[in-house]
Amino acid sequence: MDPVIIIQVIIAAVLGAGLYTLIGIAPGTDETAVLAPVTIALVLLGFSPYVIVAFFMSAIVAKKLTDSIPVAVAGIPGGVMSAPMVEHAMTLKEHGIPNTSIKKMSSGSVIGTLVAVPLSFIVASLILPYADVISEHSGLIFTLGAVFLALLAKNKILSLLVIVPFAILLQGLQHLYWGLEIIPGDTSVFVSFFLGITIGPIVFSLVELINKNHRDNLPFLDKKDIKIRKGEKEEGVPNPFKILDRKEAGSSAAGSVLGTLTFFLTPVGMTVFIGEFITRHIKDPVKRASRALATMDGVTNASYIAGTLIPLIAIGLPLSPMAIGPAAGLFNSPPEYTPENNIHHLLSGTEILIVTVIGVAVALLITYYIIIRFAPQIVGFVFKFIPHEALIGLFAGLVVMLAFMDAGFINIFGTLLVALVAGLLYRNGVNYGVMFMVLYAAPWLLGLFG
Amino acid sequence: MSQEKQSLVDIWGDNVNLKDLLIAMAICVALALGGFIIAPGDDPQPLIFGLVGGVLGFIISSIIIKPKRVVEHVEEEES
Repeated sequence: MDPVIIIQVIIAAVLGAGLYTLIGIAPGTDETAVLAPVTIALVLLGFSPYVIVAFFMSAIVAKKLTDSIPVAVAGIPGGVMSAPMVEHAMTLKEHGIPNTSIKKMSSGSVIGTLVAVPLSFIVASLILPYADVISEHSGLIFTLGAVFLALLAKNKILSLLVIVPFAILLQGLQHLYWGLEIIPGDTSVFVSFFLGITIGPIVFSLVELINKNHRDNLPFLDKKDIKIRKGEKEEGVPNPFKILDRKEAGSSAAGSVLGTLTFFLTPVGMTVFIGEFITRHIKDPVKRASRALATMDGVTNASYIAGTLIPLIAIGLPLSPMAIGPAAGLFNSPPEYTPENNIHHLLSGTEILIVTVIGVAVALLITYYIIIRFAPQIVGFVFKFIPHEALIGLFAGLVVMLAFMDAGFINIFGTLLVALVAGLLYRNGVNYGVMFMVLYAAPWLLGLFG
Repeated sequence: MSQEKQSLVDIWGDNVNLKDLLIAMAICVALALGGFIIAPGDDPQPLIFGLVGGVLGFIISSIIIKPKRVVEHVEEEES
């Protein structure tokens, strides 16, 4: 790789880490909604694949490091993934050692990252020989993936039941656009349907609020009271191996290995499962909580990294909940990337490795250092100056624009329709994963009926 | 704050004021979509204009809308 690219890669990693350190802290931000649109936009802007991978890997590590911070500092989760950790962080808070949470969690994250990157490459090289067989039958595999994720969903029966109807909705819109000659027959709409599914729950909640009865029945909500604790100043560069004791580092590493190997399962589920499983036998609540926090953060980080890297290196198809969600832009952002021509095809395994290592290292150095030192200040800034309304507004703006870009004005309404249905299903216990898999499986699945 | 205290709603994990949310969405959608449509050049110019518009919308909304959070800094000793 020539030096110019290396410099671009480093700049991309710095920007990714900086941006997602702030976004990670904002409460309630969903990984897919904040990562996918930005990655897709960068791909469509024509940035080099090296830059895209570095940006994404750096962003995901920074986001993972920071989204557990509000849990420790203010007791509210920064993302969907950190929700299971609230209970343990509260335990430490009750015992008067809230700052321990931040250190244990971010150190767990560092270990998870260090385990997941090399292990992902090993797992990917084991899968590589079967890659051709897998991609030849991608339609079938996505359909099986949808069924598999449906069986893991909260509402299994509904999840299974909606696979074909939801495919009909997506392919139906697609064929309508072809029929009206809004888009040429050789292109298909992907990005806006994908984002429609992502923002589904928000759109659905908003639409419910149109109903005055529903509004009046909601409990009164006032401003959120957030207490930020000031911690003592840290000196020097923090070392995760000093912050965690040997047992904590050990279970965090073991959890990370499991999280990497189960890259095809849902990260939230695995985090809760592994975190509880590894710490179940510990009696002392403080020890148990710190070990659970270190382990859970390790697992989430590992399953996110592995879920992105393994399919990216080995197959080039998004065959994990992570790849099909937040990392979707790396696999499919038509017209730049398609399942037949994406990062997997453009970069060699070694190149992906080098760029990943740079991205991850930059994110760890910047974010880990900043977090351990300035967590309360950053959280205070985000909570005081970034209104949640503006964040939702920004994502609404991006989605509407990308919908228009895909297939004109009609597609803004098409995407709204997809979002409404996706929101309704999500509310009733159908995972994002199932819907994303259906999005990929739909052409093949409905082709079976032809 | 208005005289009649209005209830906030929980959207996407945090409390928002419905009116403020609609304002922010309108600003961001108008600027993002507007930027995309008025961009004079070819690909990827519309996208750049649209993204810049969206970010501008985000900044404007952040300035005119106050977060619905009461932030308090407390000193807490580690025991």
